[in-house]
Amino acid sequence: MDPLILSRIQFGANISFHILFPTITIALGWVLLFFKLRYNATGDTAWMRAYFTWVKVFALSFALGVVTGVTMSFQFGTNWPGYMETVGNIAGPLLAYEILTAFFLEAAFLGIMLFGFRRVSNRIHTLATVLVAGGTTVSAFWIIALNSWMQTPTGYEIRDGVAHAVDWWAVIFNPSMPYRLIHMLIASGLTVAFLIAGFSALRYLAGDRSDSMWKALRTGTFLAAVLIPVQIFVGDLHGLNTLEHQPAKIAAMEANWHTGANVPLVLFAIPDEAAKENRFEITVPNGASLILKHSAGGVVPGLDQFEGNHPPVFPVFWGFRIMVGTGLLMLAVSWSAAFFLRRRASLPKPLALLMVPMALAGWVATLAGWYTTEIGRQPWLVTGILKTADAVGPVAGSHVALTLAIYLILYAALLVTYLGVLVHLALKAAKDGDTSPLPGVLNAALSQPAQSER
Amino acid sequence: MTLDWPTLLPLIFAGLMGLAILIYVVLDGFDLGIGILFSVADDAEKDTMIAAIGPFWDANETWLVLAVGLLLVAFPLAHGIILTALYLPTFLLLVGLILRGVAFDFRAKVPAGRKRRWNGIFFAGSVLASLAQGYMLGIYVLGLDTGLAAMAFGALVALCLAASYAAMGAAWLIYKTEGALQQKAVLWLRSTLVLTVLGMVAISLATPFASPRIFDKWFVWPQMLYLSPLPILSALLFAWLWRQTFHLPKENDRHSIVPFLTLAAIFALGFAGLAWSFYPFVVPDRLTIWQAASAPESLAFILVGTVFVLPIIIFYSFYAYRVFGGKAGDLTYD
Ligand code: HDD
Ligand code: HEM
Ligand code: HEM
Repeated sequence: MDPLILSRIQFGANISFHILFPTITIALGWVLLFFKLRYNATGDTAWMRAYFTWVKVFALSFALGVVTGVTMSFQFGTNWPGYMETVGNIAGPLLAYEILTAFFLEAAFLGIMLFGFRRVSNRIHTLATVLVAGGTTVSAFWIIALNSWMQTPTGYEIRDGVAHAVDWWAVIFNPSMPYRLIHMLIASGLTVAFLIAGFSALRYLAGDRSDSMWKALRTGTFLAAVLIPVQIFVGDLHGLNTLEHQPAKIAAMEANWHTGANVPLVLFAIPDEAAKENRFEITVPNGASLILKHSAGGVVPGLDQFEGNHPPVFPVFWGFRIMVGTGLLMLAVSWSAAFFLRRRASLPKPLALLMVPMALAGWVATLAGWYTTEIGRQPWLVTGILKTADAVGPVAGSHVALTLAIYLILYAALLVTYLGVLVHLALKAAKDGDTSPLPGVLNAALSQPAQSER
Repeated sequence: MTLDWPTLLPLIFAGLMGLAILIYVVLDGFDLGIGILFSVADDAEKDTMIAAIGPFWDANETWLVLAVGLLLVAFPLAHGIILTALYLPTFLLLVGLILRGVAFDFRAKVPAGRKRRWNGIFFAGSVLASLAQGYMLGIYVLGLDTGLAAMAFGALVALCLAASYAAMGAAWLIYKTEGALQQKAVLWLRSTLVLTVLGMVAISLATPFASPRIFDKWFVWPQMLYLSPLPILSALLFAWLWRQTFHLPKENDRHSIVPFLTLAAIFALGFAGLAWSFYPFVVPDRLTIWQAASAPESLAFILVGTVFVLPIIIFYSFYAYRVFGGKAGDLTYD
């Protein structure tokens, strides 16, 4: 097969697998800090139990984030040498700052955060937690700055076919960067909120009514309920920003084939690129014009303006719909759960049953969003500067195919194990309830398997 | 050579990259080595061995990210050439690092019956990563040649590097453990030292003969004289370390870190030799550091940050090592 296609699949597979874990660690670090501060303030051991349950998930997600991230840092060279040759002067410093300001911080203080509880004072331990959580967030800042620059490059000039930075401020704070960063950070918050809520719902269904379960369940549900409207609002702003800077992407997201006024919002369709039309369309009249131009008569650019130079419509259209659909589902679920928890102090069983699979909703929406963004940038790798096809390396297709196959098998196995361990941890926590000894009391060693199975 | 920024910056970054690689090899060397030694340890010992590296391995691996990162950002052309030429070994290295990284965590969290399986994966991943690194070193030394003879040489270096990592791991265990395991570690150190010496000799001989340019850098008078401390000092340190292994552990466990530091010094000497051989090339005999470097204004932008951040990184890395100083007990989340 063609090394270009294979390299794209391989890069997409690797980054998709990588991003699953940062989405968890970025926000979970802050949630752990919240648990810890609540414990410091109230002295209620249920908060500490919640902390110890979730710190295990954090350690596991972090390890997966690190090993898959190390893979990512090699991918640029092995699969996309043309990328660094053309925009290395800009991508390089941003990546370097990510390593210097974020990775070392996380890695050095992670040890203290995880295993240092009795070796350092409580205050230093809290500080270590802040530094780890801060490190993951700073890392998101730099990598999103780079990715946004690839989407909407500014602050550079081309000399001899190579990009040179002229204004670093403009490179970093490029037009789409603030929107993308905030949207991504909230996405991480939502992913963690639903993970915690779903995990706790599983404990609830297993008969656990312990204090630590309620505390985690409430934290997850309320966090989700607060974040999701903000996310929808930010998403809308993000879309308007994209309309301004990458109109071809918006046209593909809306599957809008013709420029014009009174453009309907397509709810469902099978875009047919050969015929340049949608099949089985269900639409809301004037919808797209209203959303994007805030008036029914607003003129919205269509794909006909970007003949031969726009992204594939089908995946972008559907990626966007999956993300938004998941977001609306999140709104419905988190608000009804919040209602029951606040007003009735209970959780109906069907709702709990729904919340368990929703634990992974954040992953689905995040991946769908990234696919929209990244495929929507095609055929460009860096908008207006470098085409994807010109960046591929001279590696034999057979080599890429072989490594891709092994990566996929490995990732599938790791994902199954990861989810299996999460379920195992949830059921074990449910069984122990509030009777589980606190690690400070009984030295549950990391190197030992879970207590109950000995 | 005029000393202006476009000349200096690539030089500085080559130095930083070399430093990052050296620190990586020493630090991740001991935790990869402990993974390799898993094959000869019993179940209780394995837990202690994990506790001896638990809080460190992530930070250790970050030095690899920095080294590859610097190659990527400072010498983008070289990054592409080297990593596409070493595509498959790089892939094996990554698979090894993935496997051992996750096994480290999974082994403690899966149901009890499966722990043994993850111990096996931890061992396999560590071996794979070490062998891949050695193989890559071997091929690189021969100028990215991929003929049959080069592959055989790569395999030899792979074996020796894995053995020397195991030696590092054993030396770290001498420092971090006590009792029966410590005594075992002394024996492990002695047996792995043999292969370590063999590897260093093999590389030292192969490098000059693989490239006439490198031959001329070593075997001309008076350079030979100035360079002679490198091999002589290494040989002395080896001999001294070998003798130490018959007197360890010392009374009250004094100087238990000395074997580790000695090995680190040997690694540093070997590394200095390699650096001398290859300077000024990043891709042997093809691209010099100046030909492969990014634009000076980009390097300057990185350097500003590095000057501020690197000392802080080194400071808090020391702090983290100090927090977990002393003998390794059970590792707990508190
Ligand atoms: C929005 C967030 C985000 C995105 C889009 C990416 N990463 Fe990432 N990455 C993180 C957020 C993150 C993190 C939260 O900082 C991680 C996850 C867990 C961790 O240890 O740090 C991380 C880990 C991590 C590591 C290991 C760091 C260590 O040793 O501690 C490397 C080398 C990379 N990443 C590299 C990349 C590259 C080359 C990417 C893109 C092509 C990328 N990441 C996308
Ligand atoms: C974090 C979530 C991300 C996901 C899920 C993701 C997903 C993808 C996918 C699916 C592709 C293939 C698109 C195609 O070929 O049609 C791709 C391409 C690519 N992405 Fe991303 N991406 C993410 C973030 C990033 C970041 C942060 C960067 C760089 C800083 C980046 C750089 C690239 C590059 C270099 C390519 C290859 C060229 C291309 O096909 O356009 N990606 N990504
Ligand atoms: C429901 C309303 C939402 C709207 C209107 C919305 C809007 C958008 C838009 C327009 C983009 C593409 C931006 C571009 O590439 O130019 C995007 C990307 C993205 N979305 Fe959403 N989104 C919504 C919900 C969500 C939810 C619930 C999540 C995750 C929990 C999420 C996660 C992401 C991610 C990770 C990206 C890719 C990164 C980025 O470009 O910011 N979105 N979103």
